Amino acid sequence: MKHSIRRTVAPLSGDQPSQAPTPPAPAERLVEVSGLRKTYGTVQALRGVEFELAPGEVHALLGENGAGKSTLIKVLAGVESSDAGTLKIFGEEKSFRSPAESRAAGLAVVYQELSQVPSLTVAANIFLGREPRTAFGAVKQSEIMSRTKAFLAEYGFPLDPRAVVGDLPFAYRQMTEIAKALMSNVRVLVLDEPTSALSEGEEEVLFDAVRKVTARGVGVIYVTHRLGEVFKLSQRVTVFRDGLRVGTYPTSDMDMKSLVSAIIGPRTMAAEVADAVQGHGPKQDHVQRATGSVPALAMSGVGDQRLRGVDLEVQSGEIMGLAGVIGSGRTEILETVFGLRRPRQGQLQIHGQPFKPAGPVDAIRAGVGLVPEDRHGQGLVMDDSIERNIALPRLKPLTRLGFFSRKGAAERSHAAMKELSIKAQNRKTVVGTLSGGNQQKVVFGKWREPRCELLLLDEPTVGVDVGAREEIYGVIRQAAASGTAVLVVSSDLSELLLLCQRITIVRDGRTIRTIHRDEVDSEEALHHLVHTSSPVTPGVPS
Amino acid sequence: MSLTAQSAAKAGGTAPSVKTLKNLVRGDRPYVLYAAFAVLIVAFSFASPVFFSSSNFLNIGRQTALVTIIAVGMTFVIIAGEIDLSVASTLALSGMSAALAIQQSGGNWALGAAAGLATGALVGLVNGLLTTLLAIPSFLVTLGMLGIARGIALMLTGTTPVVVNSLTFWDSFGEGAILGVPAPIVITIVVIALGAYVLHFSTFGRRVFATGGNATAARYSGINTRRTKTLAFVITGALAGLAGLILTARAHAARPDIAAGLELDVIAAVILGGTSLFGGRGAILGTVLGSLMIGVLNNGLTLMGVSSQAQLVVKGAIIIAAVAFSRRK
Repeated sequence: MKHSIRRTVAPLSGDQPSQAPTPPAPAERLVEVSGLRKTYGTVQALRGVEFELAPGEVHALLGENGAGKSTLIKVLAGVESSDAGTLKIFGEEKSFRSPAESRAAGLAVVYQELSQVPSLTVAANIFLGREPRTAFGAVKQSEIMSRTKAFLAEYGFPLDPRAVVGDLPFAYRQMTEIAKALMSNVRVLVLDEPTSALSEGEEEVLFDAVRKVTARGVGVIYVTHRLGEVFKLSQRVTVFRDGLRVGTYPTSDMDMKSLVSAIIGPRTMAAEVADAVQGHGPKQDHVQRATGSVPALAMSGVGDQRLRGVDLEVQSGEIMGLAGVIGSGRTEILETVFGLRRPRQGQLQIHGQPFKPAGPVDAIRAGVGLVPEDRHGQGLVMDDSIERNIALPRLKPLTRLGFFSRKGAAERSHAAMKELSIKAQNRKTVVGTLSGGNQQKVVFGKWREPRCELLLLDEPTVGVDVGAREEIYGVIRQAAASGTAVLVVSSDLSELLLLCQRITIVRDGRTIRTIHRDEVDSEEALHHLVHTSSPVTPGVPS
Repeated sequence: MSLTAQSAAKAGGTAPSVKTLKNLVRGDRPYVLYAAFAVLIVAFSFASPVFFSSSNFLNIGRQTALVTIIAVGMTFVIIAGEIDLSVASTLALSGMSAALAIQQSGGNWALGAAAGLATGALVGLVNGLLTTLLAIPSFLVTLGMLGIARGIALMLTGTTPVVVNSLTFWDSFGEGAILGVPAPIVITIVVIALGAYVLHFSTFGRRVFATGGNATAARYSGINTRRTKTLAFVITGALAGLAGLILTARAHAARPDIAAGLELDVIAAVILGGTSLFGGRGAILGTVLGSLMIGVLNNGLTLMGVSSQAQLVVKGAIIIAAVAFSRRK
């Protein structure tokens, strides 16, 4: 994979602070990294970076995929060792040779991919490997329960210690992971994209917890792609680009625009990007077809175990949003349209024709495409090449007398890679080795040709960096402009405001109301609309 | 994130022409297997003067034909993320039904061949349907079928072998030869070619890889993963039936207790050939090499005068070593 980004570190745009804040005295530093280098083969992941963390601060670490954030975290976690440079913890020089050494020094990393035993309870997971025992070696179950309960209450984590982790929504599984880290007397907590799968209400719970932790002097390194969180939570922010530190700034000195330009660098920052991050909304509304025309998708009174009455219409060429908290039924609506769930009541129509898909095969035949929520689990065969993944949904048109047309597949993937600017060596590259943004583009590539009548998008930009996110928005807008109806689910309300002409609010399995983009003037207003009912009951498996 | 992107860069690229060739032999890391294979042949050639001769190679080919044929089918099943433990029993049952059909029809060898293949395919169909429709792990379904098929084979005649009296049948599947190449080897080559074509060049092959690589993603892409898996079982069953015909023709009779334990050699050949036991990756050519390697080991050790007991130990150790070396990190 080539780095498309130039390696030169050009001066940042004018409205940015050029000086770092006065560094804290050495004794106050929990973590101090200087001149750190790490090379993988011919790729320099870290080219001499500096980083520091003070007690009690939330320090946001930003950068595009490949900028070196993950490598730094791996060095801190003891997963990788650095080639050069120093790492000091509490002023003491360290070189971790294993995750255990890092842990012993008081560092804990909560990764995006959680390391839990799904079949065990929250309490059992938190105490995994360090269960209190009786003199005879038996595990003290009641002590585990009571200590977990007290701890969760103290931090205000809305979790039931008896809940089985595998039954919990992703957000609460993550919460368990954070609680586990906090319980082992950490002084430095690293959160790697902790909110990528959380909805807004749950985010606040996490933020509260983080604030409580920092109040006790723990330092938090916060890696995220959601820039809004940086302003809500962090005191300082460090930006990496191409394995170098662009700078460290007090968050109060930064605004969205300066942050974005620091991250993506001197690359041409499209006016749209700037507008987008400022929350100005769609640049041009695509002309909506006259009311009364046959909608691409119509659902009326659709219900099953989870859905209790879904009514909505999406026009061809329209981008419609579905907003709601996790568990509100957003994803289930998409699954119903894609034939993964069978409704018990109600009707679906595609272009006015009754539509009863028995499975994804029928849905795809009717021109429906799905970009699922879980890219790794549902969207891609991670061990297969870009070409094989892109060819997957429409193998038939590429087949002549049972003979698979390699040429046709190659052309299809070549065109998709070019149009979606997928950054990879070639079409044979295994998708598991790509960055999150490029993987997501491959998922979009699966539905590019032939054009879908209806495209269902579930959290289309989770784990995708700022630059790639904009490109994906471009792809979505282009699909709509070519006449595809788009139905998009997102926990990121600013994303919905940015993309959609209309937004339907979903709550408790029902569509509550549909609003026009013009009716809401801010993310807060939309947030209020989404959250006017009581929040989902947390921790208790449904 | 960034690490994986960089390791991709590290992996680098190869010329497209080489890649096409590599697709045929793709597996986890089969190069180690090729090297081990070459070393074995050289070592046995020095150790035994009889080893390196065309007659001995034909001998090896004949001995490995059964395992190779079934292993081609097993490659489909394992890449699709399943396993079939019932192949040896299926072979025996198919042989019996072929022999009985020939006997009952008064020597109609074609009817017998059809009955043998159909029996194998039917057992495969049952395996596939039970696995996919009832969602029982194929390990358990086929473990049960291992007993059921063997039991039925034994019950058909009350454990007595069935003699086959058809010269055409003997020649077609056992003793005949084309240009000096024995019929079983010709059949094996045809099966390998067809198997490689279907797995690596057909749309069905793509479905098999996707189903085993990530069944959910395959389903979300509109692939009928149940049908794909069931078909893989049917292919394996039919090929076990074909192997049953060969064994019956060679012995001029079908024995219900034949080939017990053969499934382990078949699975060993597939895994040795670099196909992942977890599904999603593998290659026919790797399987063929894996099967040949087991055959070369058996043959070479026998020629060197190693006792059959010691052969078991050596074979087992070499299989573990070969797989250990070819593991991806």
